[in-house]
Amino acid sequence: MKDQLFERLSNAIAEGEVDDAVSIVKEGLDAGIPPLEIMEKGGTKGLKLVSERFSEGTAYLPELILAGDSMTEILKLVLEALGDEAASERMGKVVIGQVKGDLHDIGKNVVSALLSVNGFEVYDLGVDVDPKDFVNKAEEVGASIIASSTLLTTSMPYQEDIITYLKDAKLRDKYYCVVGGGPVTPDWAEKIGADGYGRNATDAVELCKKIMASSKAPGQEIEAVDLGKA
Amino acid sequence: MSVRINKIMNSLDKAYSGPVCTVKEWDTKVIPRTIKAKLKEHGLEKTLDMENPINCDDELADRFFKAGYELALEMGLLCTDTERIIKITEQELQETLREYPEEIKFGRGKDQVVMRPRRPESTVEPIVCASLGIVVSEELYVPITEGLIKYPKLVDVLHGPTLATVYGKKIRSGTPYETLMGRYEAELRRQATYRAERPGIGHTGIAGAVTHYGHLGGAAFFPGEGNNTMSLCPVELKASMSNFHRIVMGINCGHNIRAGGFSYIGGYAGPAEGAVLANIATDLLLPVILQATYVSSYVYDLQLFGNCGRKAVWANSVSTQAVSRNTNIMRNKIVNETAGPMTEMFLYEAAVGLMNHCVSGSTKTTQPRSAGGRYTDYLTPMEAWWCGEVFKSCAGMTRKQANEIAKKILPKYEEKLPTPDKGYSVKECFDLDNMRPTPEYEALYHRVRNELIELGMPLDNVYCTK
Repeated sequence: MKDQLFERLSNAIAEGEVDDAVSIVKEGLDAGIPPLEIMEKGGTKGLKLVSERFSEGTAYLPELILAGDSMTEILKLVLEALGDEAASERMGKVVIGQVKGDLHDIGKNVVSALLSVNGFEVYDLGVDVDPKDFVNKAEEVGASIIASSTLLTTSMPYQEDIITYLKDAKLRDKYYCVVGGGPVTPDWAEKIGADGYGRNATDAVELCKKIMASSKAPGQEIEAVDLGKA
Repeated sequence: MSVRINKIMNSLDKAYSGPVCTVKEWDTKVIPRTIKAKLKEHGLEKTLDMENPINCDDELADRFFKAGYELALEMGLLCTDTERIIKITEQELQETLREYPEEIKFGRGKDQVVMRPRRPESTVEPIVCASLGIVVSEELYVPITEGLIKYPKLVDVLHGPTLATVYGKKIRSGTPYETLMGRYEAELRRQATYRAERPGIGHTGIAGAVTHYGHLGGAAFFPGEGNNTMSLCPVELKASMSNFHRIVMGINCGHNIRAGGFSYIGGYAGPAEGAVLANIATDLLLPVILQATYVSSYVYDLQLFGNCGRKAVWANSVSTQAVSRNTNIMRNKIVNETAGPMTEMFLYEAAVGLMNHCVSGSTKTTQPRSAGGRYTDYLTPMEAWWCGEVFKSCAGMTRKQANEIAKKILPKYEEKLPTPDKGYSVKECFDLDNMRPTPEYEALYHRVRNELIELGMPLDNVYCTK
């Protein structure tokens, strides 16, 4: 029965059926299945499935986004069930957005969804986001990482503005700032004093994992992840 | 009130009164489900042919057109600001197709060129616009732009590169810096057109206008017929008030409207076949809703962030053929090269993509996107000339010939698409004083050109048609 439930859950996540996924988790918790087992054998498996399908081109952005949504909803239930044990379940909190003046959000949406399916708690501010709004949200939710993206060279200065604002507000040592987007390069990331750069969505996730695992304080050293060049 | 104003106001009214739908619902449910159902209904699932990147099947193109036509009527465009759907009726679509212009003029006087509808394999010469918005330093803007339009046989319309700074200051999009940039870019482009002795060339502007502010700042400096306003919509099947701002300003200035939108393979539309359908629907909706005089939409591959891979070449071929076989809508089609100047890879990417667009019935292209537009000053006039030569020369080729050539060239670069060759900056591979590529670049050009001629690409046609 348990195996069937895990399989139903992983399929619901991979197919983007958020309501079904939530119902299945509730069913499992009601049946007394340990929350972490539900997450590991159903939730994580579903995320792995959708990530693999996306990489091989058989699942697409909507499934990825909905899988992220499923994960967010499921985690609420699981964390509630875990109580105090829950604190270590998430990789970290990320505030992400497309910087001011830029409405091209498809790349950012992929990063957002992939971060979510990889266990990060993601606060996606959408497009055309003012530098101050990144910082305000990070302060509000207690984020670890501020991720800004842009496809436009004329919006790149706003990535620098986020870091400058953090410095001027004496908050730079609280948040890791990572940058990405079409015209963004490791040189640019270094120039503006970012903590990291990822060339594409997969690299961005690896970057955030690397940063969260590192012992370096924000603003100390840049990490550039470019798996394509590895 | 003019007809254009009346029609754009009708669309604006719909943007404030149409059915409500959130962007999230549109992106993750409405678009994927409707497209999936439409592909199934018309038996178009899994029709992607990786072995034949340039489609030669008219019946397939027509089936896609029928499904895309239905999709356009069922979907409409979502206004992202009001979160309401701008729907159209079949009567509005048919009226737009009936009244569509037989020709569109760019420029004035001796620099004027005329764009006419093209079918697949048409011998009608297509139009070339240069360049895409690649960032260049302020001090190099005029000479590079002058170089782009040096040869009237190769480049017909000017879009221009994008300025890195305005009077030495960073351009922050959506601020007065961008508004100021609009005017400044127009001034520099005018200087360049005089230096190139082509003062009447048609302009598409403003290249650096990433929001409507830059456009509002500069459009009035290119007044009148023969110039163009560009308005690119958010992905997928969406429009914003920023689009409307640009279009209203374009109408105020008497411009042609070049409206477009991207469709992503792997994005909201799903597989390559879904992106084709979304692309066809976009092409049909934009002349009705945004008063597009001509359309500039194309398929990209989300995994590669470009459209020179096999899937995107196929998808663009089917989409272009579907619309050009069944309507007179004129379409600007872009190739998003990923490799940079003075690389073999750039020359191959442009050759495959532009040959495909030309034989599939595109009427115009805007080129190049050297190095994917990622690096400042990675643009030289040479890439624009190459693109012009290929695009114009391929007029009259058959799709079958083009497909055979594409099959031979694609393997030469497709594995490198995720990590393309960066190439060289303009100062490293082009002599702007004498307007010539470096000897090394020129040698590379001749080598690849000869190779393509041997494969059957008629690369000397351009010198015979004018």
